[in-house]
Amino acid sequence: MDYPIWNPAIGGGMLMAWVAITHVIVSHFAIGGGLVIVVTEMLSIRRSDPALRDLAKRSSLVLILVSTVFGAISGVGIWVVAGLISPGAISALIHSYVWGWAIEWVFFIVEIVAALIYYTTWGKISKGAHLMVGWLYFIAAYLSLVIINGIITFMLTPGGWLESHAFWDGFFNPTYWPSLVLRTGVAALMAVAFMLFVALRAAPDRRSDMVRYLGWWWLGGALVSYAGYRWWEASLPETVTAFFRGDSPLLAALADTRSFALWSLAAGLAIGVVVLVIAPKLTRGVTAVVLMAAAFAFFGGYERLREGTRKPFLIHSHLYSNGLLVSQIEAINSTGLAAHSGWVAAGDDAPEAVGERVFRTECASCHTMDGYQSIRRALPTVADMELVVADDPPGSGEVHYRAECGACHGDVAYAEMVEMLPGLDEIRDDPDFVRDLNHGMVSMTLSELRSMGETVVAFDRSTQFDLRQLDRPYMPPFVGTDDELEALAAYLASLDRPADATGGGAR
Amino acid sequence: MTTDLLPALDAAGLPGPPWLFRFLLVFTFVLHLVFMNLTLGGTLMAFVNHLRSAGRDDGPAAALARRLMAVNTYAISLAITTGIAPLLFVQVLYQRFFYSGTILLGWIWFGLLVLLMIGYYAAYLHKSFRGPWLGVSSVSFLTIAMIQVAVHLVHVQPDTWPVFDAGAWAVLADPTYWPRVLHFVLASVAFAALVAGWWAVRRARAGDQVELNTAIAGTAWRWALWATALQIIDGFILLIVLPRRVLLDVMNGGLVTLGPLTLAILLGVGLLVMLARTSNPVERPGLVSGTLAALTLTVAVMSIARDQVRELYLAPSTSGFAPSVVPQWGTFGLFAVLLVAGLVTVFVMVRRVLTSPAAGDEAA
Repeated sequence: MDYPIWNPAIGGGMLMAWVAITHVIVSHFAIGGGLVIVVTEMLSIRRSDPALRDLAKRSSLVLILVSTVFGAISGVGIWVVAGLISPGAISALIHSYVWGWAIEWVFFIVEIVAALIYYTTWGKISKGAHLMVGWLYFIAAYLSLVIINGIITFMLTPGGWLESHAFWDGFFNPTYWPSLVLRTGVAALMAVAFMLFVALRAAPDRRSDMVRYLGWWWLGGALVSYAGYRWWEASLPETVTAFFRGDSPLLAALADTRSFALWSLAAGLAIGVVVLVIAPKLTRGVTAVVLMAAAFAFFGGYERLREGTRKPFLIHSHLYSNGLLVSQIEAINSTGLAAHSGWVAAGDDAPEAVGERVFRTECASCHTMDGYQSIRRALPTVADMELVVADDPPGSGEVHYRAECGACHGDVAYAEMVEMLPGLDEIRDDPDFVRDLNHGMVSMTLSELRSMGETVVAFDRSTQFDLRQLDRPYMPPFVGTDDELEALAAYLASLDRPADATGGGAR
Repeated sequence: MTTDLLPALDAAGLPGPPWLFRFLLVFTFVLHLVFMNLTLGGTLMAFVNHLRSAGRDDGPAAALARRLMAVNTYAISLAITTGIAPLLFVQVLYQRFFYSGTILLGWIWFGLLVLLMIGYYAAYLHKSFRGPWLGVSSVSFLTIAMIQVAVHLVHVQPDTWPVFDAGAWAVLADPTYWPRVLHFVLASVAFAALVAGWWAVRRARAGDQVELNTAIAGTAWRWALWATALQIIDGFILLIVLPRRVLLDVMNGGLVTLGPLTLAILLGVGLLVMLARTSNPVERPGLVSGTLAALTLTVAVMSIARDQVRELYLAPSTSGFAPSVVPQWGTFGLFAVLLVAGLVTVFVMVRRVLTSPAAGDEAA
């Protein structure tokens, strides 16, 4: 939280999501593709089947073009984006797991060299030597997953690391093995998703055979993925599953994501069995696109779920996604954010200007101004109050109230709230009165967020926190002094003022 | 102001002693430079020679361009792969400087990823379609070099962060910026030229397309000669325009700082002498191999000097801030063992491939 701040308009979280999702899709294809291609080549030699050889050879070009560069660059891209939007967080992660990443790099070198040799030596070296290169590629690629899986799962379920801070305690955490099984299945799914397009270019008399062959891989990949997913979910602590399971999940959107992911997998499995295995002659380009979309939807949904359930942490119960360490909460509340970060201290001392810098430091890693997780939409406005009070057409006021105000006022009935609010004429005659009212609400919410931090520091830090005890478990606490809290409230309240009257604004 | 803007050292501490990370950073950076030089210098040379061939595919210029881009099929991927390790270690060692520097550049730093993809895929498109793709690839890789130099200069000068915060383009006005960019570009051209020349000399002496390979070797040799001559001039300019404090610290640093710098200068001058000794490298294969080896050594020594200059730049901000060290020797040991095992695996794999040529039904 003491770094300069970079707030892209698209939102740091959204940018990271795009880079990370594309990376995981390609990187899992690189692993699964390695296995399916080398097994396909082996079968082509045993059966003297040129169609299988052609499938393996053509697929290896896709592997080279997609994985060796796009996979590598997007992998580095995750570091680049993380360093830009959450430098403190990625620094903490790298300082704990640098040797894990270094080991993964070793496997990556072997993987890339093998991939380049494998692709460029078709028809030039002996079959045995070529198969050896193919197997070395797959083994190295899979071992890179074995390593990175430990770091990824550690972030959600750090397990014994919270107490010992020991490398292996975090690495072999409660979700390590289930996640490895799940990702192994996904790797096979991704391989088929890409290779199906190659199979469709096989000679007409062998196309069905190639499609059915890939269909068995698809079936296996889908079943292993499903088993891995169920195991993964069962291994999560209740404090995490509470976000997306049960009658009233803490984040309904994540519950929807879970349903979406599992139904996508079910649909992909059903279509795959019918079209690829039972009636491969029906397979067309559009079938391949649909199956690819199903595989991406399942995997993307799972990744979204995994990231979402980690909210609001980067390393669960240790480090928040805005770079705030749990261990820093008391100190920053005591001395202030400006004492902690020169980037907050430097500049205009006007409350709204200070508030903007506090916002950029504490909130902007998740909230954009008007885009993804828009802070402006999350704040109470004069327009909101007008719509709620006007209730025109009848019933719309309550709908708007539930949608815009329900997060904080869920326990207050609509009619009861309208009685407490000023009348429509009063709102229109004196909007600044409403703004002052909203300002007060924002201050109160921020105070509650700071109290949440005081609750968190009392938790047992040697085990994963039970976030259900918190009012807003999906948000980091506010940290800072009273003046900084008021400055942030002033800045947030200013966002509903006409532009010419606003001192702050998003940069 | 500077101290105020500096983020705190990471609370987790360094998972190994600083000297180990510095060694790994420089070592892996040199490894990266080998492939980066081939990628950048090779693409630039290929582009110029492609233009010089004026659409004719049978001359030495076109053949040289084709060869350089054939090498780049491997070099680009390996440049990216080997670049991962120094990027990892620089984050560990220079965490608060490096992240701050990249954040101040923001989209420019992110743009490196986009340019890398454009540069790579444009190189592939050039092989199939010709057209403007080689130019696109050259511009992409050149811009990446400029971005890397910008990141370096911003992260080592926390004093000027408020200036860069007001406008990252200010880095272009840094007196060392353009000499630094040129230093990298010229080194990459000299390296790629010498590799291309070395290969052409081998082929010519093996009796393979002697006339063509002799012409290619001569062209590549001249490229290396001129790039090295300009490099020596640029190197001295870069030394002179270093901030006065840094320059004085280099000069007053005794053997530690003057040793690598002096060696690098001597190697540079020596390279020039070696390159000037013949105009027909095919006649002097030993000289060609020696020159390539000397250039590789120069790159390694210059990387050490560069690391020392970075430390001197940062000295005012790092003195009094010793990071805590919480070593993870067990996992480091595993890394070291696996690194050796990985390199042995690559060696065994390459040897098996080279000793298993096959054709027809016997081939894969």
